[in-house]
Amino acid sequence: MTFLFYLFAALALFGGIGVVVCRNPVSAAFSMVLSFLGLASLFIQLDAYLVGTLQILVYAGAIMVLFLFIIMLLDVPEEEKRRFPFISFAGAGAVVTAFLVLVVLVLNRGGTAGRPLPAIVPSEPGHSDVHRIGELLFGTYWFPVQIVGVLLLAATVGVVVLSKKELK
Amino acid sequence: MPVYYLEFIVVALGLVLLMVDAFAKLEDKRSLARLGILGLAIVFCLLFIVKAPEAAVGGIWRFYAAPDSLSLFFKGLALLSTILVLIMAIDYAPIVIAQTANPEDGAHPQAGLGEFFALPLFACAGLMWMSSANHLVSIFVSLETVSITFYILVAYLRRNVGSLEAGVKYLILGALSTGFLVYGFAWLFGVTGSMELPAITEALGKDGINTTAALFAFALILIALAFKLGAAPFHLWIPDVYQGAPTPVTAFLSVGSKAAATIVTLRLVSPFLASAPLVGKITAVLIVVAILTLLVGNLAALPQKNFKRLLAYSSIGHSGFLLMALASAPRASVANAMSPTTVVAFYLGAYLLMTLLAFLVLSSLRVAIPGEEIDSYRGLAKRSPFHAAALLVAMASLAGIPLTAGFFGKFFAFKMAIDAGQWWLLAAALVAAAAGFYYYLKIAVSMYFSEPAKGEEGAIRVSPLTGFAMVVLMILIVAAGVAPGVIVGLFS
Repeated sequence: MTFLFYLFAALALFGGIGVVVCRNPVSAAFSMVLSFLGLASLFIQLDAYLVGTLQILVYAGAIMVLFLFIIMLLDVPEEEKRRFPFISFAGAGAVVTAFLVLVVLVLNRGGTAGRPLPAIVPSEPGHSDVHRIGELLFGTYWFPVQIVGVLLLAATVGVVVLSKKELK
Repeated sequence: MPVYYLEFIVVALGLVLLMVDAFAKLEDKRSLARLGILGLAIVFCLLFIVKAPEAAVGGIWRFYAAPDSLSLFFKGLALLSTILVLIMAIDYAPIVIAQTANPEDGAHPQAGLGEFFALPLFACAGLMWMSSANHLVSIFVSLETVSITFYILVAYLRRNVGSLEAGVKYLILGALSTGFLVYGFAWLFGVTGSMELPAITEALGKDGINTTAALFAFALILIALAFKLGAAPFHLWIPDVYQGAPTPVTAFLSVGSKAAATIVTLRLVSPFLASAPLVGKITAVLIVVAILTLLVGNLAALPQKNFKRLLAYSSIGHSGFLLMALASAPRASVANAMSPTTVVAFYLGAYLLMTLLAFLVLSSLRVAIPGEEIDSYRGLAKRSPFHAAALLVAMASLAGIPLTAGFFGKFFAFKMAIDAGQWWLLAAALVAAAAGFYYYLKIAVSMYFSEPAKGEEGAIRVSPLTGFAMVVLMILIVAAGVAPGVIVGLFS
């Protein structure tokens, strides 16, 4: 299991680096799919089957296909070669290194040994993950879901206003 | 009436505006804004008749705090600022039309204006939800509702490069800060085993807590909150975004967004401040951030030439004073000390009045004075004595001159720092306040003691609704400066 974890974590990281490094937008989009696949496998190893499947179906599938469509429709040109921005690289590197050191320090000082998390309730027989998550979303968590509805409405209105070619 | 109806009424009002805009074929879409103002004013009155629930357990109360004076006060602030933003938007409508629609045959001459009046209502509902949120999930979703609405509003002038640039900057940096917030929430959940704030407070107060991980969670959350508050060193987006956004949106950002960030900060930081093993370190961090914010905001405002940019730095500076009050919880030995919550709420109320007054003047002058440079307001007193007087009151209050609301805001914040014995903080605040006197009053001097530029001597008129709003704000500023006890009394 540990081996599989490292394998898929490496895959996710490799894909992530690819998104930043690739100059061709299509290659960058495919690197992102790779990263999502690695992430989905990690979720499945955590027994979160539904989240893993959704990661593949929604993100790697639907959203990335949409990205590719847009890239191809707009015919986004390959990024121009730029001078190596040394200062930005040094700055970003310093921040990332500092953050990494911080996380390692926190983990070494017993970061995960907090209070025990609430136990995961096993599904009743015949009730799948989907069933339980659905129950939570529309039962206990109905209120935040309503707020998300307002959020999506505002976002939809915004997309129409900002991107429609001719406002009528 | 249960308190959680209020937000749903505001959302419904927003939907009504969208529907009327879509189907009613209005001749003049500015009547939509008037409808919105009327509706919000009614909701504001409803605030006074909400009932506390008998037992606030389970169901919605898992996510939504039972109404207390603090949450109702912040809901009132959200409603009031949205009403004033809509009033500004009416005056600002010609600019929005000119920079969104492109005239063509068959199109409505005011195409795209209706949504500009409806979107602030959704932001307002988000702000009101945020003031009652007591669960990490509801804090997150209401914060995002507000942020996403603001991303749209900032970039609204889609034929104006400045507005689009501001929108993109705000979107990218805002998304980054949200990432920090969620990561911090994950750590907080890991440390305390709960997402409900009362349970988190209880868990953080226990001795066996993993302090390292709790501090890490706090640091991540503080990064996100400092971004929303505009506290140094996470303030870099503020000047550019404030300058590029349409003026009513800038006003909404500087008041609504700040009020919401402040109440979330109050709610998220209080559990840490109440925790005996953590309080020392948390206070130290807050003091450092407060000192930095006070100095950066006020000193960087000194050389500014653009009025909106100046107000952006002033907004950073005021965040510094808010953080100062939050960071200096009183020592037990001080008798009759005000609670940090009261001081923060008073400061924010005062800040709302004076900032909105300044922006009302700005947006009402925008059509007559196209430039936003401070120099274009030279000799304003000769062209429009009313505008000049309103701006004078706003600037005096922002600077903290006695007999204005701003004076008591600063006074209470200073008193907290003295009571807590935070001398370094006090020194920084003195420097900041002195700098503030200079740059706020510089504007007043240029309005009253210089001649208007050649060819721009014409008188400027003010619309009745805006004039009425300005008079009300001026009266409130002076009233809160003469009798601050009325507002403070709301919290005792």
